[in-house]
Amino acid sequence: MTDFLELNNISKFYGNIIALTGVTTTVNPGEVTCVLGDNGAGKSTFIKILAGVHQHDEGELILEGSKVRFAHPREALAAGIATVYQDLAMVPLMSVWRNFFLGQEPKTGVWPFRQIDIDKAKMIAKEEMAKMGIDIRDTEQSVGTLSGGERQSVAIARASYFGARVLILDEPTSALGVKQSGVVLRRIVEARDQGLAVIFITHNPNHAYPVGDRFVILQRGQSLGNWAKDELSQGELTQLMAGGAELEELQHELAGADSNGG
Amino acid sequence: MADTTTDKPAEAAAGGDERLAHRGPIQTLLTRPEIGALLGAVGVWLLFWLVSAPFGTVGGTANFLDVAAYLGLMAVPVALLMIGGEFDLSSGAMTGATALIAILLANDINGAGLGLHIAVPLSLAFALAIGWFNGTVVEKTSLPSFIVTLGTFFMLIGAKLGFSKLFTNKVLVEGLDEAEGYEFWNGIFGAEWLRNNHLWDTRTWSNLWIVRDEMWALLLIGGIAALMIGTFELTYARRQSPNVAGLVVAAGGTVLALVGLIYLLAQDGTTSNWIGGILVAAGVLAKVAGWCRFRYEAPDRSERGTSARWWQYLISGIAALVVSMIIAVVMDATDSSQLGFLSGSFGKFVFALGIAAVGVLAVVAALGRITPGYPMFGAVLVALPTISFLVTVQAARVILFGGLALLGIMLLWSTARRVQPAVTVSLAISAAIVVLAFFIQSESASRKLRVELFTVLLLVALLLAASAVARYLSAVRTTAPPPPQFGRWMHVCAALGVAAVVVFAVIELVDGDGILYALLTGVAKGGIVGFVAYAVGTVGRTLLTRDEGVGRALVTVGIGSVLLSVATRLMFVTGSELETICTVGTDGELRCPQTQFGVVVLSFLVFAAIGSWLLMRTQFGSWIMAVGGNKEAARSVGVPAARTKTTLFMMVSGAAWITGMLIAFRLTAVQANVGDGNEFRYIIVAVVGGNLLTGGYGSALGAGIGAVIWGMISQGIGFAQWNSDWRFLVLGALLLVAVMVNNYVRGRAEKAPTASAATRPDRTEIAIVVPAEPAKGAKED
Repeated sequence: MTDFLELNNISKFYGNIIALTGVTTTVNPGEVTCVLGDNGAGKSTFIKILAGVHQHDEGELILEGSKVRFAHPREALAAGIATVYQDLAMVPLMSVWRNFFLGQEPKTGVWPFRQIDIDKAKMIAKEEMAKMGIDIRDTEQSVGTLSGGERQSVAIARASYFGARVLILDEPTSALGVKQSGVVLRRIVEARDQGLAVIFITHNPNHAYPVGDRFVILQRGQSLGNWAKDELSQGELTQLMAGGAELEELQHELAGADSNGG
Repeated sequence: MADTTTDKPAEAAAGGDERLAHRGPIQTLLTRPEIGALLGAVGVWLLFWLVSAPFGTVGGTANFLDVAAYLGLMAVPVALLMIGGEFDLSSGAMTGATALIAILLANDINGAGLGLHIAVPLSLAFALAIGWFNGTVVEKTSLPSFIVTLGTFFMLIGAKLGFSKLFTNKVLVEGLDEAEGYEFWNGIFGAEWLRNNHLWDTRTWSNLWIVRDEMWALLLIGGIAALMIGTFELTYARRQSPNVAGLVVAAGGTVLALVGLIYLLAQDGTTSNWIGGILVAAGVLAKVAGWCRFRYEAPDRSERGTSARWWQYLISGIAALVVSMIIAVVMDATDSSQLGFLSGSFGKFVFALGIAAVGVLAVVAALGRITPGYPMFGAVLVALPTISFLVTVQAARVILFGGLALLGIMLLWSTARRVQPAVTVSLAISAAIVVLAFFIQSESASRKLRVELFTVLLLVALLLAASAVARYLSAVRTTAPPPPQFGRWMHVCAALGVAAVVVFAVIELVDGDGILYALLTGVAKGGIVGFVAYAVGTVGRTLLTRDEGVGRALVTVGIGSVLLSVATRLMFVTGSELETICTVGTDGELRCPQTQFGVVVLSFLVFAAIGSWLLMRTQFGSWIMAVGGNKEAARSVGVPAARTKTTLFMMVSGAAWITGMLIAFRLTAVQANVGDGNEFRYIIVAVVGGNLLTGGYGSALGAGIGAVIWGMISQGIGFAQWNSDWRFLVLGALLLVAVMVNNYVRGRAEKAPTASAATRPDRTEIAIVVPAEPAKGAKED
């Protein structure tokens, strides 16, 4: 069986800086692929290659069996790869429905009088948000009045409504509190259940493990490996993520300091 | 962790939404950015109307509208550009530049002699090119538009002066009216509308003057009624089965109100005024009550007033108002002799009472049960007789009346704040307005206040009372009303309107009028025909169908009627005016002093309308807000940010071209520095109209209203015969107030519906959202 989206040894260089090297993983509908890494691990480069902002220098990107290379964000969007950036997703001063349909407004009327079909837009936005379990009574409400989790939900609902097959979520939980993170993780599961392939970028293994089916760990531009969920426990994931040995060392040091002090 | 993600109900986390009630139409209106400017405009108008005789007349209106139009024509596109997140400092200089270019290219005395048919389009091409240049440079270099357009601004100023001197050796470029093609272009840019010259021609329709006289009043009343019913439709929940008895009461009320109105107009005298007024008020209230019973769900009465002591405030408030009115009536307004209470037996009684009160207070204080209120009360009692030696009857009357009335209104306001539902609020305010109206009527010598303001205040009070009645009888909607289902009827209206436009335009052309004039009157008349068809359809649907979406259409009809009413009043002389200001010449023709409205006013109104429509209703409008609010987000979902911004810059320079042409054809000679420095006025006016300086939020209509405020203030100071040296002081203060009111109103309205206290993000929060590292490669388009 061929995978839906396959990444083979993807690498990216900025001049002589190695931003990303040897990343291999697969992404399939109905699955969540988690990409974990600390700051500077190469996560943003990874997203930008998939979203068509940057192009990879080595390796291959295989979509449904054929090699692809996205020259522009629009090409990635057209191929069904939608990216939800952490803070860039929404225009806070605009209403929910305007944000939902931004760039792809439904229109009505004959040319010089062509205008947005506002009633339809509001109705659809409300319905799609309801599918995500969020009841917005008035879609005229500005996005700035929504909570962080709700904003992410609007972005996810929008991506899935506009026919995304792969949903890339860039650190959706990093700016959120515990409760809000729960909401977003729930949306991820719902998107997965709707048959989307989800790529979930995060630095928090506690968020990644419950929802993920596959894990890629990045460290300083290097891929540490690509595991399916049954090959890895949450503890191991955390350990790998935190840089294994380094963390142990730190623990020893702290324990030492603790016993000395106490 | 897994538990949190899968088992927890989503509703719990998204809880804020459950508590978010449906926003009624009034509340939605209050969140609009231009609402502050609108209130400000009404306030400023009232102020100058009160202090100056000519300001409120048609002539005065034409005067300030003219100033406002030149400003607003530019302020509207400048506002759109501001919402798109950019500034254009070259916009002011550009207006003069296009005028200069057109004149220099056209005339053959000291210019290029190309004629206006080439020069006018060329100056447009120049303006658009500069707009395109501004937009492209700003986008390509990512420099702030402030800097880029500052560069174009100085370049334009330099070029204007340089070229004028080069060609004409002067800073004044003249000779437009001698250029080839002047007649044609002057028919477009120099056109003026003479009041009462058209539409209903004086000669042929003279026997219909009376109709025209009542026309604007009828349109106004009908418009207000449609607005009110429309608001009810949007606010209250529809009843399952209509209550027929209610409909009968409503019909009876309508008849009663009409009878009262006719009686009021037919009779003249104090008694008939009272009777007519009471009939109208009773009729309107009965009509509203009947309508609400007929149409809307009765409210749930289980939720009663929350604060137990609200009725104490209500009673004391009403008592204070009543006492204040008694004082106003009993005391002599013309008596300038000293009060001297002590000279009569009443004064001695009061004095004794005061002394006794002090004694009682002393006892109470000794018992240790004193509160701050008692000493104050005692002080007033003691002070009263003392003050009475110093003050005249006249002054005491005003002080007592004013103080008590103010106290009463404040107490009623306290009541209003304490009571749910809000019915008492409206009734209290309504009562206060009635008191105020009668006070003004009894105090003032000017006819303007005694009759006009008095009538308006009573009408406002009546409307408030009617809305209170409706609020008391009807249950508020919990969901937003559905969109109106007007599809086919809209097409009929549009077809009728377009047909009428063609017919009327052809008639005017055959009559031998100019092409622009024929087109304009054709569009105006055709628009009216379409509007009437729409109004008829709306009223029909309201009465005959169960369509819940009619509220919005009714509001549209209401606003349209009110605007038509104002236009009728401004555009056409009324019968009573004809009697007083016109004379019949020896040839039997009627001669009236005429007021002119320049074509600039029309351009301004059209621009404000198109600008609002673009921003609120079209895809382009959404894109404007998006690129101004969060450019990277807009780009990431496929909005062509650079193209949007460049288009905006070109719209501003295109509007500058129109303004330049209007200036050129009005003056026929242009100074090299015309328009320089106006760019800041455009920006200021846009800000007054509720546009955010940081972009992403605002209103094109607001910018237009801001321009009208500016026009009213700058002309009103002259009308009021204030020393014009103080103009900028007044202007600055009023602008500041306008902006603050705007902010305050919006803040209140935003906060109200959301229980989770999430408010509109301010500038600091927007700044956080802007990405630290803009995505490379997402640059093109």
